[in-house]
Amino acid sequence: MDFIQANLPYLLAGISVGGQYALISIGYTMVYGILRLINFAHGDIFTVAAFFAVYLSATMPLIVSLPLTVVLTVVLGFVVERVAYAPLREAPRMSIMISAIGVSYLLQNLMWYITGGLAKQYVTIPWISSSVTLWGTTTKMVTLVTPVLTIILVVVLVQLINHTKIGMAMRAVSKDFETAKLMGIKIDAVISITFVIGSFLAAVGSMLYFSNYTAVTPLAGAMPGLKAFVAAVFGGIGSIPGAVVGAFIIGISENLLKAVGLTAFSDAFTFALLIFVLVFKPTGLFGEATTDKV
Amino acid sequence: MKAFKIILSLLLVASAVALIVFVGGALGNPDDVIARLDADNLAATDSKLQKARDRALESAQAGDREKTLRNIDRYVEGFGDQLELGGQNRLDLFFYRHGPSLIAVSIVVIVAAAALLVSALDSRGRYRKAAIYALLIVLLYAGIYIVENLAGASSMLMTVLKKGAIYALIAVSLNLLNGFTGLFSLGQAGFMLIGAYTYAIFTIATENRAQVYQYYNGGLVQFSLPPLVALVLAGLAAAFFASLVGLPVLRLKSDYLAIATLGFAEIIRAIFQYDGLGPLTNGSNLLRKFATFDSALFPFAVAGVCIALIAMLIHSTYGRAFKAIRDDEVAAEAMGINLFRHKQMAFVISSFFAGVGGALLAMFQTTVQASAFKSSMTYELLLIVVIGGMGSITGSVLASFLFIASSEWWLRFLDNTQMIGDFQVPLLRSGFRMVVFSAIIMVVVLFYRRGIMGDKEFSLKRLSQRFRRKGESRNA
Repeated sequence: MDFIQANLPYLLAGISVGGQYALISIGYTMVYGILRLINFAHGDIFTVAAFFAVYLSATMPLIVSLPLTVVLTVVLGFVVERVAYAPLREAPRMSIMISAIGVSYLLQNLMWYITGGLAKQYVTIPWISSSVTLWGTTTKMVTLVTPVLTIILVVVLVQLINHTKIGMAMRAVSKDFETAKLMGIKIDAVISITFVIGSFLAAVGSMLYFSNYTAVTPLAGAMPGLKAFVAAVFGGIGSIPGAVVGAFIIGISENLLKAVGLTAFSDAFTFALLIFVLVFKPTGLFGEATTDKV
Repeated sequence: MKAFKIILSLLLVASAVALIVFVGGALGNPDDVIARLDADNLAATDSKLQKARDRALESAQAGDREKTLRNIDRYVEGFGDQLELGGQNRLDLFFYRHGPSLIAVSIVVIVAAAALLVSALDSRGRYRKAAIYALLIVLLYAGIYIVENLAGASSMLMTVLKKGAIYALIAVSLNLLNGFTGLFSLGQAGFMLIGAYTYAIFTIATENRAQVYQYYNGGLVQFSLPPLVALVLAGLAAAFFASLVGLPVLRLKSDYLAIATLGFAEIIRAIFQYDGLGPLTNGSNLLRKFATFDSALFPFAVAGVCIALIAMLIHSTYGRAFKAIRDDEVAAEAMGINLFRHKQMAFVISSFFAGVGGALLAMFQTTVQASAFKSSMTYELLLIVVIGGMGSITGSVLASFLFIASSEWWLRFLDNTQMIGDFQVPLLRSGFRMVVFSAIIMVVVLFYRRGIMGDKEFSLKRLSQRFRRKGESRNA
């Protein structure tokens, strides 16, 4: 009991961060499921969302600026896909991946230019940023809100994918790109919607994630982005519940490592886990095994 | 024709040797040169001049040519009109100032003469190609040497050339994996880090260790190796880690491999920054005061040799196996190519050269810190490879120099606010350079996917063929 009491702040932080990773990793896993592309720019879209919030809130009330942030992030995700990925549909997979890396590089440099390389104070969202005391540990409300909100969003998303027409189209495309095309599914529309959903969740995740911190820097999203990707792989890429479970496991274990005093290795641990999973169970926790045909 | 060529080459050799003798005289005895400058001993009348002259002589005796030249300049200036720099003196001074460059020129002339002689005697043209390449290589290195002497070792041009050469080596090593073997690896920054640290750790002079490792009681290693040995060791260390990493990772498919190698690079970075390894790696503190290079010839020589080795590997049977794996893994395996062995080989060799490149980068920067070797470094290298053309060595080399020149030099003006009259040019401020730069890269990635060279190599034959074809079409 004492152990739990002592490590409760870390555990809570882990659950919270895990939820935020989950929201990002869904964007990765859905895009990978459909395009077989690691969208390296996703972490940067997540950071850009934070800057949208910072800059918009400077001139507008939060009630306007936050929804607008979500809208702008979604537009950004859509535009990135249309400009940088859509023209390369027929190109080798490596080309699209390189394009994604290029977009990530461009977004990072753009953010650096606009902010002048300085950290910007993140907006204080009322209620979410307020403190609460829980079993003797003080934490921010966001810690408690995140897992709940994450689970609600995921349930809605899963319903969307399993029970709507567009969800069916997504499943079809991720199962077999070519055949889905032949069946008259508008591939480009499906891909765009995937990016829209991914960016929407990244925007929400960004608000929750950066509420934990005081400031945003242009590179702040790169590491959470990579970790969210690892979470997606861990859970089995292409599987949404897998991504969520993976994200929670990674978030919690990396914070427990901090509790033990191995802060320096909390990032390395994530990647070690990734390699472990890739070597011993490449399909991840919930992934489907696929066989390569010649 | 043959006799004419032979006579010409002999004349060339003779004139080059004469030049070397002259220059050698001036270089060997700077005191004579200084003494002859002021044969009438006018300096004796002015204590200031006397001092300048003494200082020049002193630095001449110490063998510091640059300092001597500076002092001579001051000395000659001090005289103003009184000192008449007559023909002989002027020539002496010229020889002394540009001596090393002139020797470089004479070496080029001698090699050119040798090439001429080869072409005269070698009737079947067997050695013509070798002679031309030898001449080009000597010309390149002599050119770098002369430019360095004229522009100064710390000029922007030389900075770009040095860093460009180092990046060229690393880009080619990455191209060996991505472009030639089809292994999409993003771990290069990690292997560079291993190389840079290995080199730095083993070449810090023993007396400086206490200062560098001030938080770790002077560190664990208490000896230092000669730079070249440490350079090879840096490559070997990177290769050793690569062979360990490769065992699990190389079984993965394309994008999983990318993310796993990226992950390994991050793990390596975390390990090197770990406080517990402080006595070896100095924790998250800088490593400094290790052996570095002064002249751009060093990175050019090392990078040149390494790139030549990679090129030879690619043209060997192993290289053909790599390309077969890239083009079709299943077919390659069916043809009897051991997939894992060849992938492992490409991975280890590429990492070896990345390690050497990392060590060179450390020498270039004079300090090294693990936190600089982020994944963004690998991304930059990957973009260089793409710009140059996946599967083209010369493309990677060209793209490296272009990339470094534009990011360090040509696009610098974008970072400064510019005024045209009272009008301030919009957008120009710190950071804009990188935005423009990354936008250019995106254009290349999207619209010129094959890069500068595609998978072709730059070759004289193709160039001459192209010119000939152009000439023909014009004639027709």
